[in-house]
Amino acid sequence: MNRVHGSLNDQALIYLQIAQMLEDDILRGVYREEEQVPSTNELAREYNINPATAAKGINLLVAEGVLYKRRGIGMFVAPGATAAVKEKRRKALGEEYVLPLLREAKSLGLNKEELLAMVKEAIEHEGGEKA
Amino acid sequence: MTSGVLQAKGLCKSYKDKQVLKNLDITIEPGKIYGLIGRNGAGKTTLLGILTAQNTHDSGEVTYGGEPVWENPKALADLCFSRELQTTLFYGQNNLKVRHYLQAGATFYPRWDEDYARRLMKEFGLEEKKRVCQLSKGQLSMVTILIALASNAPVTILDEPVAGLDVVARERFYQLLLDDYARTNRTFIISTHIIEEAASVFERVLILDDGHIIENEETEELVDQFRYVSGAAEEVDRVCEGMTVVHQRTMGRRKTAAVRDTGGRRAADLEGAGDVDVSPLSLQNVFVALCGHEPVE
Repeated sequence: MNRVHGSLNDQALIYLQIAQMLEDDILRGVYREEEQVPSTNELAREYNINPATAAKGINLLVAEGVLYKRRGIGMFVAPGATAAVKEKRRKALGEEYVLPLLREAKSLGLNKEELLAMVKEAIEHEGGEKA
Repeated sequence: MTSGVLQAKGLCKSYKDKQVLKNLDITIEPGKIYGLIGRNGAGKTTLLGILTAQNTHDSGEVTYGGEPVWENPKALADLCFSRELQTTLFYGQNNLKVRHYLQAGATFYPRWDEDYARRLMKEFGLEEKKRVCQLSKGQLSMVTILIALASNAPVTILDEPVAGLDVVARERFYQLLLDDYARTNRTFIISTHIIEEAASVFERVLILDDGHIIENEETEELVDQFRYVSGAAEEVDRVCEGMTVVHQRTMGRRKTAAVRDTGGRRAADLEGAGDVDVSPLSLQNVFVALCGHEPVE
């Protein structure tokens, strides 16, 4: 069913997904600093969503200093946005990835040393693949 | 486009001994897209008919911009309710040719946009010489959509507009709707049973259940008030203590509870409160949780 919305899914609030997609695109360089991002109506049309929802996603990024408004023109990527998004994602890493990992480990009865060993092993494995 | 607030207070409506609307209150703010959802027979069409003075009601009042809508041409000029056309009717409106049916639209609605109507007719591939009763179910839906959009009415109401449409046409409808809304910023009320794909189009959602509007909320804010909490039954009960559980299912010793924010406590914060899984609901899930009870007689 969620195919209708392109890459949006039903599991998370749409305005958050819109904000996250814009952030992803800023990190990827799709939108560079001081470049214009799609308007509320363009986003609404692209993803078949209510413009108010798209606006909520954009406003979230404005409040975080990632986007800024040029009166009468539109929304632009703020200078320093890439660093700001990275910093925000770094902070969210703990809550969104590490905490669930801890919970899962706890429900499996893993102790601290076992979990740390697994993380270490994964890091070495990844590093090995890259080299 | 400027439009007033459409409001109903204390609406009651019975068909013989069955009371459909029970002291119902509703407020429709201008410039938003509303989705109206409710189970079969909940009274959605009845409500929409009463809001636009196409149906009578037993008691209560309906106002638009503070004025009663009943026999009020000024208010009715602003309200368009494009009713679902029946496939099985072979007389009356259904004996009209598409062209004549649309002419009726032009007569009824003072802001009718003939160019827009022509464009939509071409886009939908509707033949103006065909009689309404000769159209397929999908084409009937297209006619009702066409009337609604071309009416340009500040408050435009569509009853089950996508019912007969295939998925491509449905997606096109949502696009046309959003394009129109971006241009006119008029109020839309859209009833539908295809909740999941329409949810993102609705700024606000209205849920009609047991004769009342039980929710009139910003769609995403409503959905975010709920979480599923699942796990061992005792643990789920412990975690959910003091919270509003709107629906629950058990399977052996496993339980899944649909939990709603209660007082100042957020259902989302139950994550990590115990050995349970906490996951979000979609609008469809919320609807089932709130309205999935046995029919109330």
